[in-house]
Parts: sequence; structure tokens; C-alpha cells
Amino acid sequence: MKKLRYINYLFFTFQVLIANTIHVGKQYSVKSIQQAVVQSNDGDTIMVHKGLYREGNIVINKKIVFIGKDFPVLDAQKKREVLSVKADSVVVKGFKIINSGFAALDDPCGIKVYNRTFVRIYNNRLDNNFFGIYLQNCNNCIVKGNTIVSHGTQEQLIGNGIHCWKSYNLQIIANTISGHRDGIYFEFVTNSVIWRNISTKNIRYGLHFMFSNDDSYITNLFKNNGAGVAVMFSKSVKMFNNTFEENWGDSAYGLLLKEIADGYIFNNKFIKNTSGIYMEGTSRMKVEKNDFVSNGWGMKIQASCMDNEVLNNNYLKNTFDISTNGSLVLNTFNSNYWDKYEGYDLDKNGVGDVPYHPLSLFAVLTEKNASTMLLYRSFMITLLDKSEKVLPSITPDNFIDKTPLMKSLPL
Amino acid sequence: MKKSAFLLFASLVLISCVSGEPKPLQLNSDACDFCKMTISNGQYGAELITQKGRYYKFDDVACMIHFAKSNTVVPYKAFFVCDYLMGNTLVPVEKCYFLKGGTINSPMNGNAIAFTSKKEAERYQPKFNATILSWNELYSSY
Repeated sequence: MKKLRYINYLFFTFQVLIANTIHVGKQYSVKSIQQAVVQSNDGDTIMVHKGLYREGNIVINKKIVFIGKDFPVLDAQKKREVLSVKADSVVVKGFKIINSGFAALDDPCGIKVYNRTFVRIYNNRLDNNFFGIYLQNCNNCIVKGNTIVSHGTQEQLIGNGIHCWKSYNLQIIANTISGHRDGIYFEFVTNSVIWRNISTKNIRYGLHFMFSNDDSYITNLFKNNGAGVAVMFSKSVKMFNNTFEENWGDSAYGLLLKEIADGYIFNNKFIKNTSGIYMEGTSRMKVEKNDFVSNGWGMKIQASCMDNEVLNNNYLKNTFDISTNGSLVLNTFNSNYWDKYEGYDLDKNGVGDVPYHPLSLFAVLTEKNASTMLLYRSFMITLLDKSEKVLPSITPDNFIDKTPLMKSLPL
Repeated sequence: MKKSAFLLFASLVLISCVSGEPKPLQLNSDACDFCKMTISNGQYGAELITQKGRYYKFDDVACMIHFAKSNTVVPYKAFFVCDYLMGNTLVPVEKCYFLKGGTINSPMNGNAIAFTSKKEAERYQPKFNATILSWNELYSSY
């Protein structure tokens, strides 16, 4: 046992001895990053000191630790991709990466990782790049603590902040993204986690899932994005503790769910969106303990959805709590708090004694003919709404919450 | 003279009412009428017009074809796609050569792009490792 420890110790010191640190900077012998990469061997560290480095495309093709001290600036002057990682286990940390090229055909990026594993990208600042960080066919990578900003305008073509394609076991943690097309984009990505990111003011979606199964996104903030968040064509996606805020517009949704199944939406906040959740072709989802506050529509559930379970949510101050475009009821609503509920609770068990119809007549009318919205809050409409509650004729009479709560849940 | 000018004017107005001209896609503001996604890349966009003159916009040729196939009630008048090299410019599908498959990566995984010039299509075909299709072949391939 002792011998083994001794051997281990020797081995370790040996490793330390052979791993070099190459300093790059004005005051050091190595002035250029490209030169440092050429000189380095696997396991070395390249420490880049403060300064402006205009070296075009920098390719890292060795297993090295690539560290910036005091945020040295890598500038590609809008011509090329800035940093290309083409080796496993590379660490990129503490750089300011600016001005990648803008091109529609080959998608230049701030940092792009090509078909690699165990790459870590920590604490970089990316500014004015076409794509921010692009992981192409990468596994077990971590993208953490980066600030990614671009300045896209609505008409302009621009790439995504963090773009992941055909990858698995990724961790996207604590990044701040704004001004890109989609803040975070997942296409064919599985078993990955998106945690504690802030994605705001992106032109299209704050977060966008396509064909990505078994992922979760937890405790993120999506605010003021062009069209909110979209989760499409994916299975078993878990969405916990996120905030979806201020996504306004005709085709903007707090959360757009399309063709997805078996997910779990738990403890999120949907605040001030045109539609909190829009569901189409969605099945076997559980929507539990969420807050829907001050939305135009709390949830829009299209008739193509089935077997979804909506329970223990708060619906507060929404213009419409629920809306749907069909008469078939294939989803269940249980034990939610609806601030529009006007029933009573004689046995004082906290559960209303009469069922609540979350679908108002007017919600059905506006779904069929949007311009009737003009009559909202008029006397006739209020009268019709009241009579519909007593005697349902247009709204499906089994579209009910049998156990509406009397008090809002403390979420 | 005046009468004929008026007639010309009137007929022009009437023609413009029923014209089969495509409406340009408003990037990042129009939503795809099939998949609900906001259209953000003009290179893959598409549009169709019904006999009655309604416009439907799509972010991917596949969306347009799925949409067209899902609806057999309303007859269509014209189909348009964006030329890959011209960005957001709609051209009639009959004039186009399509590339499908290979490394082409379109928003909704339809993975098809259109070229008005056959030469360009043939130039890009080995680059993407894709197959060249006509509109009819592409339509039946989804």
C-alpha cells in the first residue's frame, strides 16, 4: 500500500514537471497565441496576458489549458471564426472574444468546438459574434459563466448564443445571453442540463429545443425575447423553477410546446406574456405548481393535445385563464387556484363546493374570431359570460376543475 | 382615349387583386403557418397562395409540403421557395432545382434548399453531399 502511494506520488510529480506553462504577452518572449499553440504539447497551459490579439482564426488542436488573464481580447475583425477547438479536454477560460465574421453559409462563431469531448468553456465574454458558442457533435462538455452579447436587429440574419447540435451530456450553466437569434439552441441534444442562465432580449427565442430528448432546464430566466421559449418535437423534457417574463406579441408565447410528450413542467412562473403556455400536439405532460400571473392567456391548449394533467397551479390576474379551439376535452384540470372562481366552501375544507369552468364563453369566441376582443368587458359580453356559466351551451360542460382551491397556493 | 386608359387602369387594378405574386417574408416577425416557429432565416423560407388569394408563410420547404398535404379542401394556386443564394427572395417552385439531404441543415429538419440556376445547384451538390430533385420529386419525398 505504501509503495503504491509512493509510486503515485512519483508519477504525479513527474506529470507536473513535464507540463509547461507558456506565457503570451507583450512582456514575454512569446508574442503570438498561434505561436504558443505550435510550441505547446498536450497537457501544457497557455497563459495569455492582457492585450489585443488580432490573429484571425486561432485553432487549438492540442489538449491544453488556454487561460486569459485580465480578459485579453481576441478580435477576428469580422472576417473569420475567432476560436476553433479541435482537441479533447481543452479548457478555455477568461477571454474576451469579439467580432467574428458574419456569413450565412459557414456560420462563423466566437468559440466553436468540433466533434470533441470533455471541453470546458468558462467565464468568457463574447461580444458581437455571429454565433456565440457552438458545440458541434460534442459530448460531456461544460459551458459555464459566459457572457454572450450580440447586437442583432430584427431584419438581420444572426446566429444563436449557445448552439448545441448532435451532442449529449452537456452542462450549460450560469451564462448570460442577449441580442442573438435564439439564446440557447438545442438540436438533437440528449441527457443535458441547462441551469441558472439568463436569456434576455434575443430576437427569436430565449431557449429553443428541437428533437432533443431527456433534457432538463432548471432555474433560468427568460425575459423580453422576441417569441419567448419554444420546446418542439422533443420527449421527456423537464422544466423546473424557470421564469418566463414579458414576451409580448401575436406569435410570442411564454412557452411554446409543439409535438412534445412526457415532460414535466414544475414550479415555473409565467408573468406578463401574451400567452403563458401555448400547447399544440402535446401529450402526457404534467403541469404542476406553476404561477400564471398577468398574462393575456394563461394557457392556450389546442384540441390536438391529450392526456395532459394540470394541477395545483395559481391563475392570477390573467385576461383569460384557459383557451382552446375545440370542444373535445382530453386533458384534466384538478385543484388549481383560479382568482375568477366565484363559488363557495360551506364545509370549510379549502376546496370549492361547486366545480369551476375555466373556459369562458368569450375566450371561445375570441379564439374563433379575434376581432370580437373589441367587445371585451362590455355589458352584453359580461351578461353572456354569466349566463354561460350557469347554463353552458357553447363551452364544453365537462371542461371543469372539480376541486378548485379557495386560497392561492404559496409558490 | 380616356376610356381605354380607364379600362387599362381598371384591368390593372383587377389583375393586381388576383396576382400570384408572393409577399416577402418578414424575418423574425412572421411565424411559420405550419410549425408556429418565427421565421428567422430567409434561405430556407417558403410561401404558398391559395386560389382564394390567402398567403401562408413557412420557415422550411418541408413545412409547406406537410401543410399542403394535410389540407385537401382548399385548392392551391402557387408555391414559392427562397433561392438559397439570394437570401430572402421568393421564386416559383417550377423554376427551381432542389438539393435535399446530406449535410444541409434547415430549421425544421426538412433539409432541402432551392436554386434557380441549375449550374449553382450542381456546384453545391457535392459540397453538401445532397441529391438534386425537381419540385415534383421533392413534393412526393416528404
